[in-house]
Amino acid sequence: MGVAFVAHCLLNQNSKVGDGAHCAGVYSPVVDVLRDKGWRIEQMPCPELTFTGLNRFWAVREQLDTAAYRRHCRRLAAAMADMIAVRAGQGEDIVLVGVEGSPSMGVHITSSDPARGGHPEWPEGTGEHVSGEGIFVEELRLELARRGITPKLGGETHALADHDEGTQRARLEATLEAPRPQGSAQAPAWQAP
Amino acid sequence: MKPDERSFRVAFVADRYVNPPPGGVDGLAVLAQAGWGVMQLPAPDYPAEITTRVLAEVAEHAEEFSRHGYGFVLVGDGGGLAGALAAVGLAVPDQITPADAAELRSFLDSRPAPPASSWSWLAPGPG
Repeated sequence: MGVAFVAHCLLNQNSKVGDGAHCAGVYSPVVDVLRDKGWRIEQMPCPELTFTGLNRFWAVREQLDTAAYRRHCRRLAAAMADMIAVRAGQGEDIVLVGVEGSPSMGVHITSSDPARGGHPEWPEGTGEHVSGEGIFVEELRLELARRGITPKLGGETHALADHDEGTQRARLEATLEAPRPQGSAQAPAWQAP
Repeated sequence: MKPDERSFRVAFVADRYVNPPPGGVDGLAVLAQAGWGVMQLPAPDYPAEITTRVLAEVAEHAEEFSRHGYGFVLVGDGGGLAGALAAVGLAVPDQITPADAAELRSFLDSRPAPPASSWSWLAPGPG
């Protein structure tokens, strides 16, 4: 058991890009797994909502990967890392639960298309999902690494073509039950405000 | 493509209703069933400096939702939320500190439809 820091949209689908909300509000399949396993839930911010707004276009990682967006994500990541350091300092196991396929919140799979830009149209079925992490998750993981914290990483998979709720649940359960990653020892006391 | 199912309804929720103590009200479950999104407020054991930063981020999210006509409520104690919302020009929304799940559900169901549900370019969800 420990503390799960979850992507904002997993508790609030209203933050999703237009046509991206899978349900009215709380995405229960992930919440149910965390609850069943006795993990606390804490919500991360949505970096895209507060940077590009509710009327943003669907985007791939390259479109968001600007200096300004990186600075925005680093600011949010520093605040989140402060919270995570408190929990790690209390001896809690930590997991980040992101959104696979997201250019910001992907943990194992992000969206990539170096050629995308200009008029916002592209062929249906464009294969944009690739191995990799989103920009916010990358910045947060780097900030945590600087503090000596290595979280577990899990992802919600609804946006992926091969999404299967049972598979998603099994993967998340396996992530929660896995041993703590190397280097995830309790944060030094001076790092926990 | 599957239609967007958002509800345009967002609740600021005190931590004790997201991570309820034994015997406490499971606000997250009620909000999920009622079709409300959640913006979780920081747990009371965080240092004040962290709480202030998190509340400022929550308010920034709320500002964007408000600009687009989404509806809000506050579930539980807002802590410093009032100040954070005031800093972005927003008032504290209707609030409830529910004694049980039924009271929370009744409160949520009694809220008027948010403006966005009638003029957003997105179709309103079933919530």
